[in-house]
Amino acid sequence: MYFELLVMAWRNLMRRKRRTNITAVSIGFAVFLAITFTGMGDDSYKNMINTSVKLGFGHVTVQASDFHLRPTADKYLRDVNKLYEEIVGQPGIEHAATRIITGGLVASAHKQVGGMLMGINVAQETPDINLFQQAIVAGRWLAPEDSRVAIIGVGMADKLNINLGKKLVYTITDVDGEIVSDVVRVVGIFDTGMLELDQGQVLLPLRFLQHTLNYKNDQATLIGIYIEDHREAEQIRDSLNESIIVPDGEILSWQQSQSELAGMINVDRGSNQILQGLVGLLVAAGIMNTMLMSVLERTKEFGVLLAIGMSPIKLVYLVLWESIWLGLLGLMLGIMICIPWYYYMDRVGIDFSQLMGENASVAGVAIDPVIHLKLYPETVTTILVGVFLFTLLASLYPAIRAGRILPLEALKEL
Amino acid sequence: MASVVLSVTLSILLLVSHSLFAQDSSVQALAILDKVDNLWRGESSYSNLTMRVKTKNYQRELNMESWSLGEEYAFIRILSPIKERGTVTLKSDVNIYTYLPKTDRTIRLTAGMMSGSWMGSHFTNDDLVKESQLSEDYFVQYEHRGQSEFGEIYKLTLIPREESAVVWGKIEIEVDAQNYIPIREYFYDEDGELVRVISFHDVKKLGDRLLPVRMQVVPQDEPDEYTEIVYRSIEFDVPIEQGFFSLANLRRR
Repeated sequence: MYFELLVMAWRNLMRRKRRTNITAVSIGFAVFLAITFTGMGDDSYKNMINTSVKLGFGHVTVQASDFHLRPTADKYLRDVNKLYEEIVGQPGIEHAATRIITGGLVASAHKQVGGMLMGINVAQETPDINLFQQAIVAGRWLAPEDSRVAIIGVGMADKLNINLGKKLVYTITDVDGEIVSDVVRVVGIFDTGMLELDQGQVLLPLRFLQHTLNYKNDQATLIGIYIEDHREAEQIRDSLNESIIVPDGEILSWQQSQSELAGMINVDRGSNQILQGLVGLLVAAGIMNTMLMSVLERTKEFGVLLAIGMSPIKLVYLVLWESIWLGLLGLMLGIMICIPWYYYMDRVGIDFSQLMGENASVAGVAIDPVIHLKLYPETVTTILVGVFLFTLLASLYPAIRAGRILPLEALKEL
Repeated sequence: MASVVLSVTLSILLLVSHSLFAQDSSVQALAILDKVDNLWRGESSYSNLTMRVKTKNYQRELNMESWSLGEEYAFIRILSPIKERGTVTLKSDVNIYTYLPKTDRTIRLTAGMMSGSWMGSHFTNDDLVKESQLSEDYFVQYEHRGQSEFGEIYKLTLIPREESAVVWGKIEIEVDAQNYIPIREYFYDEDGELVRVISFHDVKKLGDRLLPVRMQVVPQDEPDEYTEIVYRSIEFDVPIEQGFFSLANLRRR
């Protein structure tokens, strides 16, 4: 690798301080852009995923086979209580909750609207895993002894023209396909800020919904599993698949149970990466230009070096070493810009609420109007290595060009 | 001490006598309600009827024929307009099926579709299913006899049982005291707000019974709209089998 060229390369760079600095800044800027774009994307994906999973399915879902494709009441899990105990004992699992999800009709004396009903076991729910529990604005959350009660959204209360303490009749299809109705009283109202949920979601005690659906005490639609890092969902799913047996059921990651969201995120991430690739190309073209300039203006100098016996390959390495130094300088600069930026974005963030309007949601999931950066260590590493490789790649042609210089021709130049 | 005991005893006595009185009047009210409930009910029936619907946006008139057996089965076929002739609604227990002759398709209404309007009227599909015996779902709480522009009437107040899957907060029924024929039914929400009114008109002898042949539903939030059902003829206890109310029969008719 001709390490003796290290010092020489550094000195060469320092001969042209202004040009070196400008190039290093452009590399640093590329790092900054990539960190910002990727970080913002990852932050909003993380928020969207963590919001979406709190609507019912969880990061990992243990459910009756194909429930997410055709959600009907005849698909249910057996022995959910035993299953729940087995699941919470597994490593990596923070929380789990047994739930029933079914669609139906919700009516008051004034109106009837379509809605999603979710039966929950209050003992297993916490605000960390249940978005609705965080969003109660009137009345109360469900209590363990509750039976004939419901929690609805502000939009639904408005549409049905009912309030706390009033009754609500729901009609659903039970386990045998029969149409059944029951009456409940509203004890709490939530406001998630998401229109579809506030107008269409009803929460009921699990026991009571089991009773209406003619489910047994240990039958439910699914168990939603919550983990620390959403990126480990598939890994947890696979390890669960090895350690527990779900009769007539399956285990899905959020990418499978909430495929609409996963698809949207993939498209967004893809377009983000294309954009970053283009920015990278621009930066690389700039670096190539700089390096080529610096090689061409030193043609005579290189010619002399060759004439006194330096091998052409050493010249190639010399230029490459210069670009390595340049890349490292740029990365340092980039890191120096990014540290306070990240600190600011983490603490304060950029508030987009003015631009987003009232009901900001994508694929039915609310977005936080304040943008932060979410940086994973491996993302940062990838970006730094990527930018560095781009720099190296861009100087490949100038370096080869330096190696091809013919001493005789070069010396003839001015 | 003695006064406390006395007042407790008194209040208990009062309570008991009050509930005794209430029970007595509710028995009477229940008897009236049963008569009203059974007015249209025979073991089976066949009727010809016209339904007029008027809303802000459209007005339509449908002629239909209808068979029923007990409370569980009903078979309603549209005769005119020609465009919709042959469309059948089949009620079998709690399920409702619709058959569309044009596409030759039978649709079983799902729970979510029950809120849809039945044939564009002010009735929902759910209304057809929930058409239950009133005395099963409600306490008959209050009764009085009085005069109105229709002559002597009974007035009943129906309060739904806590566990009945009905949306109303209260129903008031005015019944003609002579013939036990309903005159008006008022449906209230839980705040006591009037939501819809059903009125019964044109009492005639149809078959062997005296019946109001015209029935009008007016939603109170849209007072200019209504749905009206007029019985042109009705026969009770016609010979009809349960097999008549089958999916196979939807297409054949």
